[in-house]
Amino acid sequence: MKKLLLALGVSVMAMAAQADPVKLVIWGLDGDNGLIPKLAKEFDDKNDDITVEFRAVAFDDLVNETLKAVATGNAPDMISLDNPDFAMFSSHGAMLDITDRVAKSQVIKPDSYYKGPWNSVMWDGKVYGVPKATNTIALFYNKDLFKKAGIANPPATWGELLDDARKLNDPANKVYGLTWSARANEEGTFQFLPWIQMSGGSFQKVNGEGAVKALDLWKTIIDEKLASQDVLSQGQWDSTGTFNAGNAAMAISGPWELNRMATDAKFDWGVTLLPTETAGGARSSAMGDFDWGIFATTKHPDEAFRMLEYFVSQSDRLFPEFSNIPARSDIALPSTGDARKDEALKVFQEQLKYAQPRGPHPQWAKISKAIYDAMQQALTGQTTAQQALDQAQATIDGILKG
Amino acid sequence: MNMVKRPWAWFGFALFFAAIYLFPLYWMYVTSLKSQSEIFASPPTFWPNAPDFGAYPYVWFQRHMPAYLWNSLVIASGVTALTVFFGTGCAYVLARYRSLWVDIGLFTILMLQVLPASVMVTPLFVAFNQLGLLNLPRTAVILGASAKAMPFFVVLTRAAFMSVPRELEEAALVDGNSRLGAFVSIVLPLVRNGVLVCAILTFMTAFGEYIYSKSIIQDADLQPASVGLQAFLGPNSKDWNSIMAYSAIYVTPILAIFVLLQRRIVSGLTSGALK
Amino acid sequence: MRIFRSLTDGIGFDLVLVGAAMAFLLAMAGLPLVYNVLMSFQQVDMFTLGSLVRPWAGLDNYRAVIAQPEFWLVMKNTGLFVVGSIAGQFTLGFALALFFHQKFPGSATIRGLFLVSWVMPGLVVGGIWSFILAGDYGVLNALLQGAGVIHAPVFWKSDPNLSIWAVIIANIWLGLAFNMLLLSVGLAAIPRDIYEAAELDGATAWARFRTITLPMMRSTIGAVLSLGLIGTLQQFDLFPAITEGGPANTSNVSQYWAWQMSFKLYDFARGATISVMMLVLVLVAAVVYVRSTRSEVRG
Repeated sequence: MKKLLLALGVSVMAMAAQADPVKLVIWGLDGDNGLIPKLAKEFDDKNDDITVEFRAVAFDDLVNETLKAVATGNAPDMISLDNPDFAMFSSHGAMLDITDRVAKSQVIKPDSYYKGPWNSVMWDGKVYGVPKATNTIALFYNKDLFKKAGIANPPATWGELLDDARKLNDPANKVYGLTWSARANEEGTFQFLPWIQMSGGSFQKVNGEGAVKALDLWKTIIDEKLASQDVLSQGQWDSTGTFNAGNAAMAISGPWELNRMATDAKFDWGVTLLPTETAGGARSSAMGDFDWGIFATTKHPDEAFRMLEYFVSQSDRLFPEFSNIPARSDIALPSTGDARKDEALKVFQEQLKYAQPRGPHPQWAKISKAIYDAMQQALTGQTTAQQALDQAQATIDGILKG
Repeated sequence: MNMVKRPWAWFGFALFFAAIYLFPLYWMYVTSLKSQSEIFASPPTFWPNAPDFGAYPYVWFQRHMPAYLWNSLVIASGVTALTVFFGTGCAYVLARYRSLWVDIGLFTILMLQVLPASVMVTPLFVAFNQLGLLNLPRTAVILGASAKAMPFFVVLTRAAFMSVPRELEEAALVDGNSRLGAFVSIVLPLVRNGVLVCAILTFMTAFGEYIYSKSIIQDADLQPASVGLQAFLGPNSKDWNSIMAYSAIYVTPILAIFVLLQRRIVSGLTSGALK
Repeated sequence: MRIFRSLTDGIGFDLVLVGAAMAFLLAMAGLPLVYNVLMSFQQVDMFTLGSLVRPWAGLDNYRAVIAQPEFWLVMKNTGLFVVGSIAGQFTLGFALALFFHQKFPGSATIRGLFLVSWVMPGLVVGGIWSFILAGDYGVLNALLQGAGVIHAPVFWKSDPNLSIWAVIIANIWLGLAFNMLLLSVGLAAIPRDIYEAAELDGATAWARFRTITLPMMRSTIGAVLSLGLIGTLQQFDLFPAITEGGPANTSNVSQYWAWQMSFKLYDFARGATISVMMLVLVLVAAVVYVRSTRSEVRG
């Protein structure tokens, strides 16, 4: 009798499992060439026991929506978050610790990832997520204008960058030497932090001698009108837009520019690594893009981890289908059919080896504001670079201590 | 002074002013037709080198604009209905008396406007979550947005009620009407145009409601057009063609209705409709 | 039955009408206000947004906000933004209202076109003005240079002395429709025969404006200014699109700062604190409005 009941129970449970598939909710960025909804749908279709629901959230709202959801117990099962925001959630225990699962996984191999992206999902020695994709910044240059100015090679050091910008600057034809973004938001920090890092600093130590030198260099470029003063208010996309239009000879930005540039730019262009402080000096760059994470509150951690493994297993499709660069060094990018793009991607992949995450720190946004505020104060001449960075350091020290 | 020519000079000036004022609108249309890089060309081009209308079908189909626009319509209609329902009577009473209590009432209504919607949305989200209203997201947005529209509506509609002579209502009361009867049969018909115009303005504001919708409505099938616009703003890129084309699609019909109905809206509002 | 009668007739009728609206407003706008005021006195962890019970902080948040190095700069900018926007919106709006008050062919139609800014999404308005005001590819500089007014590009968005004005210009554009519409309504309410009598007495146009138009419009002006002030204090769509409050906070104003604190830096307590501080400004607007209703003339 007991046995019978047990068997009955098992079969009822099995039936229930069949009738009632597990529902996973995933949130992610709206746009992004439809990456998340597409992969989520595939996983849904491949697994009869699981259904997946996707909610698209605008980039600007992603963190706020997530905070609100976590605070009110409405968190989804899984999410993809911008990497500097990830630590805020992992450090507060909002994300599921997947250290053991990753160690046992046949699919997720931490060693195959670039160091920078992988660091961004770590907190306190534990793994809380997996990088979705990655990107970084390097120097775009207009080969036609370089030829016209008689410059053979793109700049390799900060000094050469300034010299070349002076040579390429051509106000009569409305051409600036250089453009980048020093905007009062995360983009400004994204662009400036690599310079601090190249000179031996970090987000914890921003007022070193090299950082001051870098900021002074930026200021010289703006003061001598080698770049538009609007670098202070325009983002990277708009700034590179002026490069594409032929109004700047060099631009600092990332691989997300490639498709637009290939269509729009009516000149020959190339990409080179960010110039270093001195010849052969230390390299660094910024690291962008998102991380996958599973929420600690999920009722279905096993199924969510299976979905994560499915996403990771599709890494080789990231670039050809979605123009995302995998955060892994073991995946070769197939040719795009455009030699300039292929060439550029090689440079970006080389640059990625030196890319460092912003943070990880739970209060990254405040650290970032201290950095871009200081940068802008110096660039607008309100204080010297040294004073501005000293003040930023004081603010950052306060945050790191607290 | 030549009395025949002068009005046409005025007309010329009016066109000139309107041209200056509408320039940003023109820039929206032109930008939607430019290539991604021509937008940033210095000096700027006043007409695209090679106008490309491709962004229009792209945003229409890619972003399922018909569904978005329908949701905008639903939300705007709901907000307008609720605001008119609660606001009209309130404005009527606040116009009818002059006392400290009325002052306090008006003061309170304005003070409740103190916070921007972005700050109000978190507590509303928490409350709606507790009440289970997040399952009826469009209704929840309508409730929140109506409260946001109400002060403005009350102040404007109150001005309309101010222009109704008190004697008319009193005469109706003497004739044996109840207060409700006098309100419905005498006062309301007199302010009909004023209320209508205020309702139209409320509708147009609500049509663009964004902050509550993006947070409270999580299902893309129920979101209004204003939220759909966000998809073109990525972490590293801003698809300006699509943004401008999208908003052109969304603004132009309202603009057309405006121009077609302007006799009723603007002239109605200004030439004694409020009287 | 008597209760029902008093609800459809007599003072009960008034109370029902006002009470329903007030109850609705208090629930939907009053509670969020209380939530924010409360939060400004509490220590807020970003994951406790869903509850009201949090550790008490007294005035710590207020002290911390005032101690921020950018506090006084932001306050100064807020003043400039409010005064500049309202002065611009109001004078231009009044001038246009007077202009369109003249009867000429097409006056109503063309005035209708001015309501465009009412329906434009904030994000788009910000984006368009950001293009127009750009130093190099901006069309405003191109026009000014073409007309010979300036010889070198002006960096509206990036010059620390001008950046706040870049946002003010865009905000004046945005608020003009509202000002013009309400003032037009006020103008239309003034009986024409008063003007005709004054004209017969030989009063100049300016004298008529000063002695008839302005006094008769006092209540309208009060409503326009107070609603304009409230609208201006809530305006922050333009900031992220045009300057992000930069460079170096030179175009940051309190409402954008509050928004940045809460939704970019995730310091919800300080964000709420700044919002509550702004209450003082809205208080001024509310008093101006309520006082202006005293001079209303019943039709």
